[in-house]
Amino acid sequence: MKALRARYGGGPGHLLATLACFAIAAAAVVGWTQRPQDLHNVLLWFAGAILLHDLVFLPVYSLIDRFTISRLPQRAIGYVRVPLLIGLLVLAGTFPTVLGYGASSEHHASGIYEHGYLARWLLLCGALLALSALSYAARGRRVR
Amino acid sequence: MLGLALLIGLPVVAVTGLLSNDAYQPGLGVNALGRDIHGPLDVYLFGWLTGPSWFYAFTQGLHVTLGLAIFPIVLAKLWSVIPKLFEWPPVKSPAHALERLTLALLVGGALFEFVTGIMNIQYWYAFKFDFPQAHYYGAWVFIGALVAHVPLKFGTMRRSLRTRAEVASVTAHARDGRAEESVLLSPNPAPASMSRRALFTAVGGASTILLLQGVGQSVGGSLRGLAFLLPRGHTRPGPLGFQVNRTWRSINASLASVGDEWRLTVRGRRTLTLSRDQLLAMPQHTHALPIGCVEGWSTTQHWTGVRVSDLAAMAGVSGAATVTSISLDHGTYGTATLGHQEVSDPLTLLAVAVNGRPLPLDHGYPARIISPAIPGVHCTKWVVEMRFEELT
Repeated sequence: MKALRARYGGGPGHLLATLACFAIAAAAVVGWTQRPQDLHNVLLWFAGAILLHDLVFLPVYSLIDRFTISRLPQRAIGYVRVPLLIGLLVLAGTFPTVLGYGASSEHHASGIYEHGYLARWLLLCGALLALSALSYAARGRRVR
Repeated sequence: MLGLALLIGLPVVAVTGLLSNDAYQPGLGVNALGRDIHGPLDVYLFGWLTGPSWFYAFTQGLHVTLGLAIFPIVLAKLWSVIPKLFEWPPVKSPAHALERLTLALLVGGALFEFVTGIMNIQYWYAFKFDFPQAHYYGAWVFIGALVAHVPLKFGTMRRSLRTRAEVASVTAHARDGRAEESVLLSPNPAPASMSRRALFTAVGGASTILLLQGVGQSVGGSLRGLAFLLPRGHTRPGPLGFQVNRTWRSINASLASVGDEWRLTVRGRRTLTLSRDQLLAMPQHTHALPIGCVEGWSTTQHWTGVRVSDLAAMAGVSGAATVTSISLDHGTYGTATLGHQEVSDPLTLLAVAVNGRPLPLDHGYPARIISPAIPGVHCTKWVVEMRFEELT
């Protein structure tokens, strides 16, 4: 047991948990191979999701924040950042609709051609910013 | 803190996802859509049930709604642990190397599942693979990594919730530039410019808005307008304006095929051919039943038609039997099989009318299947043939 700890750097439970995790992942890849024509794309999307998120999206939004919002006066930062962050996180869950990527398939499936989602999302962001501005003003008055 | 929210929410999303796989009853007919269901990860908790009729609409609504609502928490969690990606040295021991690999599976699995799910419920099929299969096995990669991750990290979460070491340290850093050692902290943080409260307000606010989107399209009725950023947040006017998941136009069938020449072939111990008038002459039953879509939206309507069990009896089928319905639509779900429990359930209908009017073409005229607690795509529309097979 001591030798395992010294060489491996963790206990037997750790080794078992990680090996079980790899075994399940391997079985999932075997499941995916049932459609050989899909496998390449599935793996590409899987790896692409990690790389895009960790090395593109996250650094980009951090940098944008650092060079714009972070330079605002200290006490205003939160009041700009919170509503914009809410808007962006909502967009993360609704981007195919808001940005219109699903529109033609949706029309095909549902028979309805609905548009104006982008305007609704912008309205939501506007409302959140307005709400934030109001609470900023209210706080300013309280402080004085 | 974010970890705790995920620890509660993610298992619910995972379990409801696996239940959905059960609801499709992939062991019957071609329901598995070509998937081999005898692999080690093709797990079935139990068969499927026919009541309560809203059960699938509920579990799948929960899957999609909760999935949408916790995506911001997932992203915030990933943001909060990003310094760990660049820790130095990158590998401290074999255990550490393996653990980092499981983290790649955890993060990749989460992002893959959330992104493909979000795209699929909103009709953006940009991925060039079969969604059900990719999403199903992807879920297992994620579940496996999560099950390994939780015991490895549970102590860290408990410690940080109890001692609030991270909070204390960040606060101290903001106050006098001195940081305590703690595993979850960035080793060289920029001055804190956002309070914990602000982060939780933002994440909680986005989660709540997305939660309401999901609730709106799942509960429907007067709440449907809440889903103002999702495709199923609106309804066409009138008693027949409820949601359609496959339009008549999209199946490229001729109008003649549903005209006077339309016949329903029923195969069992004997074969019958029925015209629409003959169907209408049979005893009619009306039930309020939901269409519960795998995309997380649902809509409950009043359906009128003949009992599928009556059709089975007419075809000479007496014992437990499954039924395979074949549509004029030759697309992916053009053929679907219901289990013996659906066939024998008196609520399972071959509907000819909805809300007191003949079915419109978009809703499956001349006849469609409607059955309690099954996925919407198994409520086959434009049915031309029903095959009963007795269980041996």
